[in-house]
Amino acid sequence: MNWCLVKQIRSRLTVWYIAVLAMILAVYVVLVFAFQYRFIRNQIFHDEVQDLVTVEGLLYFDDAGALKLQQDYFSHPQSHLLIDRLMEVHDLSGVVLYRTPNLAGESLGGPSLPNEGDDRFDQRVVRLSDGTHVSLVSHLHTMQGRVVLIRLGYSLAPFRMRMTQFLEILLIAIPIALVFAGFAGYQIARQALKPLEEMASTAKQITARNLNERLLIENPDDELGHMAAVFNDLLDRLEQAFQQLHSFTGDAAHELRAPMAAIRAVGEIALREQETGERDKDALASILEETARLEDTIEGLLLLARAEAARSIGPDNYSLVEVLGEVTEVLGVLAEERRIRLSSNIHAASGIVLSGDRGLIRSAVMNVVHNAIKFSPNDSTITFTHSVAEGQVQLTVQDQGPGIERSELESIFGRFYTSPAGQTAPNSGAGLGLSIAQLVIQRSGGEIFFDPDVSVGACCVIRLPVHRVVSGQ
Amino acid sequence: MLNASQRSHILVVEDDSKLASALVAGIESDGHQVTWASSAEEGFYQLHQQKTDLLVLDVTLPRRDGFDLLRQIREDRIDVRVLMLTSHNSVEDRVHGLRTGADDYLGKPFSFPELLARIDALLRRILPQATSESVTVGDLSLNTKTRAASRAGKTIELSAREFDLLLYLAENGGRTVSREMLARDVWKESSRYTPLDNVIDVQINRLRKKVDDSFSVKLIHTVRGLGFSLREPEG
Repeated sequence: MNWCLVKQIRSRLTVWYIAVLAMILAVYVVLVFAFQYRFIRNQIFHDEVQDLVTVEGLLYFDDAGALKLQQDYFSHPQSHLLIDRLMEVHDLSGVVLYRTPNLAGESLGGPSLPNEGDDRFDQRVVRLSDGTHVSLVSHLHTMQGRVVLIRLGYSLAPFRMRMTQFLEILLIAIPIALVFAGFAGYQIARQALKPLEEMASTAKQITARNLNERLLIENPDDELGHMAAVFNDLLDRLEQAFQQLHSFTGDAAHELRAPMAAIRAVGEIALREQETGERDKDALASILEETARLEDTIEGLLLLARAEAARSIGPDNYSLVEVLGEVTEVLGVLAEERRIRLSSNIHAASGIVLSGDRGLIRSAVMNVVHNAIKFSPNDSTITFTHSVAEGQVQLTVQDQGPGIERSELESIFGRFYTSPAGQTAPNSGAGLGLSIAQLVIQRSGGEIFFDPDVSVGACCVIRLPVHRVVSGQ
Repeated sequence: MLNASQRSHILVVEDDSKLASALVAGIESDGHQVTWASSAEEGFYQLHQQKTDLLVLDVTLPRRDGFDLLRQIREDRIDVRVLMLTSHNSVEDRVHGLRTGADDYLGKPFSFPELLARIDALLRRILPQATSESVTVGDLSLNTKTRAASRAGKTIELSAREFDLLLYLAENGGRTVSREMLARDVWKESSRYTPLDNVIDVQINRLRKKVDDSFSVKLIHTVRGLGFSLREPEG
């Protein structure tokens, strides 16, 4: 059987099922037949021995010295023991003393064999001239001072016929049983696989347009229910990703279009104006400023693409404390300008080494700290804390700004997200900073979130897996 | 700015005619002699026609690309500095470009001040310049050894970063420097992003307070859309 031809699982299951059943039945038939055969053959031998013993008691020599069988022992003259019994009695010199008429004068088993029937009942099968096989028992018997060899047998023909019939019945039953079993198996397989088929047809109808549809889970505990749940989970993530991509593309287009519109408007106005000089310069400068904005957005997008492409943990080993030190060194002037104090407890843990793309992590931390400075009021404090637990290093950046609404805690990491408060801030950027930070941290095996339980300001928590700890620091 | 005897000859190989004419005009206005070629073949012909000091080479060209031309130039041992321009601004591309034999590498989009600064830096390797211990702009003088700054004899207290920034502006000799250049050369940051732009703006403002506030002549200038320059006002 070419398995490729049997495409459907239910057909394949049925074929397997039938094949296994056929094999079991074949073994069963062989065993039953062999057992039955042996059993009946033993029974026949047993009967023959009994009959022989009976016959020994019934044989006698009459007055003329001829061997006779006492016939009146059997109350039932039609007994098949009488009719079917084949018997021959020899004396030791091989002279036939008695032969049943149904042998029609033929010898039963030929001349005596050496030691035949010496002290027990010898059994063998002989073949008569008409082809019938006879099961034969021989025994030496002493009567009235003479030793005779008695051979007694029954034709095996009826037995063999019975066994043949028995085998035929068994063999005919097997295909019938297989047909029934196959039919039942097919139905069962179809029934069992039906939910799968329904799942497939539902799944087929789910496209990008109706990603919100889900598979029906009838029994969440069985295998199919489990599979449907897994599939639904996949659809969840797919839908989420799709929506993200969708809004992202829209937002990106908008972010790019706004400066383009400004550039175009400024350029067109400048061309229409008759006078030249200072105004032209103004227009050109404005165009260049918008171009810088465009570049900024593109730079952010490229950074996102780079972070997205960074599948595994990057090649660099670095210290988060060191990175934070560099970041605060660069951004310190911004804080200083607005009299924001940067307070930290961070000298204790300098032996901790992280692994990843240092440049990306640095951008991430830079964005987070810049965000905190941006939203801090003048004369306030930003507090950094640093701790290690369970193989993770945790960095928190706590400011005293307006804080984050609970409803915004998630969306604040969205691409091109700018909070209502941030839109008025100067240099608010394209709104990619925190999403870059989130992507980078997540790709490095860590997590970033805003602590929802702080009462004053916002507290950004960054957790990253520790690569190793250098002792002796 | 270079005087006439030092006029260098620069060949620009760029297929985008708009960008090319801007490049030619811009580089010419900086006092160089510029020829334009729109394809690698034409560029190669031009290189053989006249002595060229610097080649500004675009990577993406029709038929034969910039890397191809660069390889041939190096194989033929033509003595010319090469500045590559490309929009594939990844580290790998940079490395590839520099390995192929480019002397410098500039990603599109670039700021013009940066391009001119790079061109100058490459030409300076040909035309050696005296480096001195002190740099002066008007009455402002910077001592590169002691890292001390003074204006009209009055010492100005500067942080390390502020001194670096001022020195960088001064060394560019009145030329406008872009934020990208400051980010890379003063802050040593590999990528430029919003936080750093804020930092640069704030730092320039602080520097302006220290250097210019108590003087009537302003030396630090913001060129809108381009960047900053340190020079005596004209006129």
